[in-house]
Amino acid sequence: MEPRAEAIRYPLFALLLWGGGAVLAVCLAAAVFRALKARRERLRQFQDDAAPRDWSEPAIDASAHLDSPFHRWDPRVKIVSLLFFIFCVASLARLSTGAAAIGLGLAAARTARIPWSRSFRRLGAMAGFLLMLLIVTPLTAPIHPGDPVVVFEHLEFLPINLRGFFPAGLVCVKAIAIALLMEPLVGTSPLANTMEALAQIGAPRKVGEMILLAHRYVFVFRHEAQRMATSMEVRGFRKRTDMETLRATGNFIGMLLVRSFDRTQRVYEAMLSRGYGETTRSHVAFTARKIDWVKGAFWIAAGVALLVVDHFRGA
Amino acid sequence: MHISDGVLPTSVAVGTYAAALVVAGWSARKTKGEDLPKIAVVTSAFFVASLIHVPIGPTSVHLLLPGLVGILLGPSGFISIALGLVLQSLLFQFGGITALGANSLMMGLPALASWGLFRLMKGDSLTRYIVSAAFAGGFGVLLAASILALLLAISGEDFIGVAKLAIYAHLPVVVIEAAISAFSVSFLYKVKPELLGVALPAAS
Repeated sequence: MEPRAEAIRYPLFALLLWGGGAVLAVCLAAAVFRALKARRERLRQFQDDAAPRDWSEPAIDASAHLDSPFHRWDPRVKIVSLLFFIFCVASLARLSTGAAAIGLGLAAARTARIPWSRSFRRLGAMAGFLLMLLIVTPLTAPIHPGDPVVVFEHLEFLPINLRGFFPAGLVCVKAIAIALLMEPLVGTSPLANTMEALAQIGAPRKVGEMILLAHRYVFVFRHEAQRMATSMEVRGFRKRTDMETLRATGNFIGMLLVRSFDRTQRVYEAMLSRGYGETTRSHVAFTARKIDWVKGAFWIAAGVALLVVDHFRGA
Repeated sequence: MHISDGVLPTSVAVGTYAAALVVAGWSARKTKGEDLPKIAVVTSAFFVASLIHVPIGPTSVHLLLPGLVGILLGPSGFISIALGLVLQSLLFQFGGITALGANSLMMGLPALASWGLFRLMKGDSLTRYIVSAAFAGGFGVLLAASILALLLAISGEDFIGVAKLAIYAHLPVVVIEAAISAFSVSFLYKVKPELLGVALPAAS
């Protein structure tokens, strides 16, 4: 079967028109976003210039001090039921159920009272990967008979298979729904409590300890790396596409590693001198009340319901 | 590049989780118990190093560093990488939580392979160390890109094109990582050779 036979043909100027429109829309959105961000920055400087923040990325549990149904939830039940729901969402195969999952994710993020900027930052981190999928998949998906194909004049070698938007869009919808649930999952308890809950569920205690330690020292080393980068800049170093930049970056990483390995030894000795490894103590006691189980049952039921609708509707 | 949520079919996501747990268990057994907290702290340093962006022309890439992790940590490299990916997923949403197993295999297996390659090739001179570090660093990224492409390709025939593109997109990163690994190892050889397992002269 000749795949181009049923292709919808458009003249080249249509592409220019659409492409131009899309670029314009993206630029507009970016401009609005930047303006909002600049305004917020000004407001923040105005409000708390007495408390300068020394790291740019907030900790995983930066919002753990707030209060919400998610914060009050027994972390053991929360982890199990939300993870179950997340895997259900990842298994969906329809855009409609995926959209319903996004709705639940938005509701959860709202209920958890975590600032929207945190959730938007998560969505922004995925944007590159998802946009790449959305652009590349329609251009490269194999063309089957009956697929809606769009071809632009003079660009016959680049047929756009509209069917490709479906798998890519499905990934976007599911990824967004799950990203919205991450803040309610890990941002609503102090990280130490989340790890303690993981250990009580059955994960090796060492795993939680290592995550806590690594999370703590990410900020320490980030601070250190920023100081090193500043001092390189002061001495006139600018990143370029050349061998000198690679050499400087290689040495930079080497220095960061030397300092961190030295520091690791001191950290470990300090831990030992404070009695690390002698007893496995659990510093929080969780109690699962009725309401905790109800919340858990809600998310598990929601996950199963999405899967059932996804699987059987219209089949 | 890390796989986000929603790409992998559930069977692949769960299967890679199981496989990653098996390898992580092996890696943890190969690590002395008292070294685990040290691995955690060192992981933070690698995590920060992987946030460094290197410019190529108008754009820039961030480092992946599976080769360097393997060279410095050996068999413990796998848990270090898995731990780093947990943090990336929880902190920034780089890599989905359901794809954590797949992403750990994608970066962790190349770390183990780079370690093996580096051990085979390194001789006893600085030049040999630098050359083998370059090979290990470049090979690590190439293997990671191949595993990424494989995972994308088995996620559906529509993603095969994306998989091919992912390999091409990683080729410049292969060159950059090879150079960075070589320079870092050269630096460490001169400044703190015991990190590379270089036998110290008796005098020190």
